[in-house]
Amino acid sequence: MSEDETRPEQVEPAARKTPENRRAFLRTAAWGGGIAGIGGLAGYAAHRFAKRQGGRASREAALGEEFKYDVSRFQKSDPSLLRYEEAERWPVAEAAGEPRNIAAGPAGGICVAGDGGIQKIDPEGGAGWVKQLRSAVYAVAMRPSGEILTGHRGEISVLDGGGAVRDVWSDFPEGFLPTGMDVWGGEVFVADAGNRVVLRIDGSGRTMGVIGQRDPGRNVRGFVVPSPYFTVRMAPDGLLRVTNPGAHRIEAFTVDGDFELAWGKASFAVEGFCGCCNPVSFDIFADGSFVTCEKGLPRVKLYDSHGEFTGLVAGPEAFPDYVKAANAGTPDSRGTGIYAAVDPTGDVVVLDPMGRNVRLMKRKETADA
Amino acid sequence: MPENGGKLTRRGLLHSGMRGAGLLGFGGAAGFLAGREERSRTVWQIDPDKCIQCGLCATECVLEVSAVKCVHSHGMCGYCELCTGYFEPEPIALDEGAENQLCPTGAIERAFVEDPYYEYRIKEDLCVGCGKCVKGCNMFGNGSLYLQVRHDRCIDCNVCAIATACPSQAFRRVPATEPYLLRGKGDGEK
Repeated sequence: MSEDETRPEQVEPAARKTPENRRAFLRTAAWGGGIAGIGGLAGYAAHRFAKRQGGRASREAALGEEFKYDVSRFQKSDPSLLRYEEAERWPVAEAAGEPRNIAAGPAGGICVAGDGGIQKIDPEGGAGWVKQLRSAVYAVAMRPSGEILTGHRGEISVLDGGGAVRDVWSDFPEGFLPTGMDVWGGEVFVADAGNRVVLRIDGSGRTMGVIGQRDPGRNVRGFVVPSPYFTVRMAPDGLLRVTNPGAHRIEAFTVDGDFELAWGKASFAVEGFCGCCNPVSFDIFADGSFVTCEKGLPRVKLYDSHGEFTGLVAGPEAFPDYVKAANAGTPDSRGTGIYAAVDPTGDVVVLDPMGRNVRLMKRKETADA
Repeated sequence: MPENGGKLTRRGLLHSGMRGAGLLGFGGAAGFLAGREERSRTVWQIDPDKCIQCGLCATECVLEVSAVKCVHSHGMCGYCELCTGYFEPEPIALDEGAENQLCPTGAIERAFVEDPYYEYRIKEDLCVGCGKCVKGCNMFGNGSLYLQVRHDRCIDCNVCAIATACPSQAFRRVPATEPYLLRGKGDGEK
C-alpha cells in the first residue's frame, strides 16, 4: 500500500473535529431552535399577560362607583335618638337551633323560638330550660297561665309551662306557615305567612275567621309577604295590628276582618321602613305605642300609637356582626330578621339571631320621648 | 394471511383472528372512553350560596363582556313594588325612570302585573355580571336575584380567570349535563 493511498485514512479523523460536520451542525441547530422556542413562548406569554392586564385595567376603570352597592350612610344612627340601653344579655342555647322569634310572657319569662325547639329564659335569674321539638318553631306566644304556643309549618303545638307538649292543632289550610302569634282572651290570632292571612282561632284550635284576604269591596288590599316575616298583635284599643311588609305598613283590623287604618312608609331614612319587606316584626306597649324591627338595616325603633317615629331602641351599630356580614354579602346575612318583644314592665327584649343572643333593653333615665 | 401456496394455515388463522379481535377491542375501548368522557365533561358555574357579589365576575372574564349574568328565580321572587334589586336605596319615585334604577346598565326590566305586584326580568345583552342588583336583593329581599355563568357565552377555559380571582371560592366545576346551580323552585328562571 502506497503513502498516497493511506492519506485519506489520516485526514478523516481530523475532519470529524471541525464544526462543519453534520452532528455538530444538528446540535447547534437544536440549541438555537430551543432557545428561539423558549424566547417565542416567553414573548407569547408576555403578550397574553399584557393584553389581559390591559383589558382588565380598562374594564376596572370602566366599572366606577356606580357599580358599587353602598348603604353605609344608612348604617349609622344619631345617638341622640337612642331611648334605651342594654341592661343584660343572655345567650341562645345551641339546642334551640337557629333563632327565629321571641315572646315575652304576660306573667314573666321570655321564650326564644328556634329551628331546634324552644328556650325559656327567666329574667329574674330563675332556672331556664330548652325543649327540643320535632320541627322548626317559627312563632311563639305565651298565655297568662304560662302555657306556650309554638307555631310550626302546618301546625301549632300547645306546651305547658315546663315545655311538655299537651296538644297539637293541625286543622289548617295547605301551606300554613305561622310566623307571628298573639293571645287575646281565649282566642289566638295567627299570622300565616304561607297564605298571607291572619287566622282567628279559638282556644281549642278551631279556625273562626280569616282576616286580610284581598277584597277590594271591603277596602282590603291584601298582605304582601315576600319572605317569611309576618306578625300580628292585639293592641290595647281592641284592634289587631298586622304587618304588611311588602307595603311597608302596619295595618289595623277589627277581629271580624274590617280594615280600619294603616301607617308606615318606605324609606331608608330612620323614620321609614327600609328595603322591600319591612318591618319584619313588632310589639305593642301598654300605652299603644310600638316597637318595630327591620332586616337589611338592623334597626329596632319606636313609634307612638299613631305611627309617628319617636326614637330608637337600637341602631345598626348595635348589630356589628350583622352589618359586617350584610356588607360583605355573605350568605348567612341573607334573610335574617331581628325580633323584639315588650315585657310586662315595659322593657324591650331583642333577639339578635346572628349574634345568638337576647338583650334586655331598659329605657334610659334621661330619655325624654 | 394464507401461506403454503394460498392455503389457510392454523398460524395464519390465529394471526388474522388476533388482529381482528385487537381491532374490535380497540374500537370498543375508544367508544367506551368517548361515552365516559361525555358523561364526565364538566363546566364552570357559580354556587349562589357562596357568592359575595364582589364584582370580579364583571372584570375578570376573558371575554369582552363577561359570561356571568344575573338570573332571576321567579318562583322565589316577591314581585315587590319596591324591589331593592331594581331601585336605588332612596329612589325619587317608584317608577322606571333611569334615575331610580339601581342597575348602571339598565339591564333589569320592570313590568306591572296587578296591584301591587311587579315582574322583573333580566336583559342579558345589557347585564355585565357586576352583581350590584344581587347585593341589593340579598341584603333586603329574599335572594331571588343571583349570578350564574351563562353557557351560551362561556368558552369554558380550562383555567377560568374569574374562578382564579374569586375571593369566596364560589366557582366550581359542575357536570355539563346539569350546568346551572339554580335557586328556588327553578320555574321560570331568567
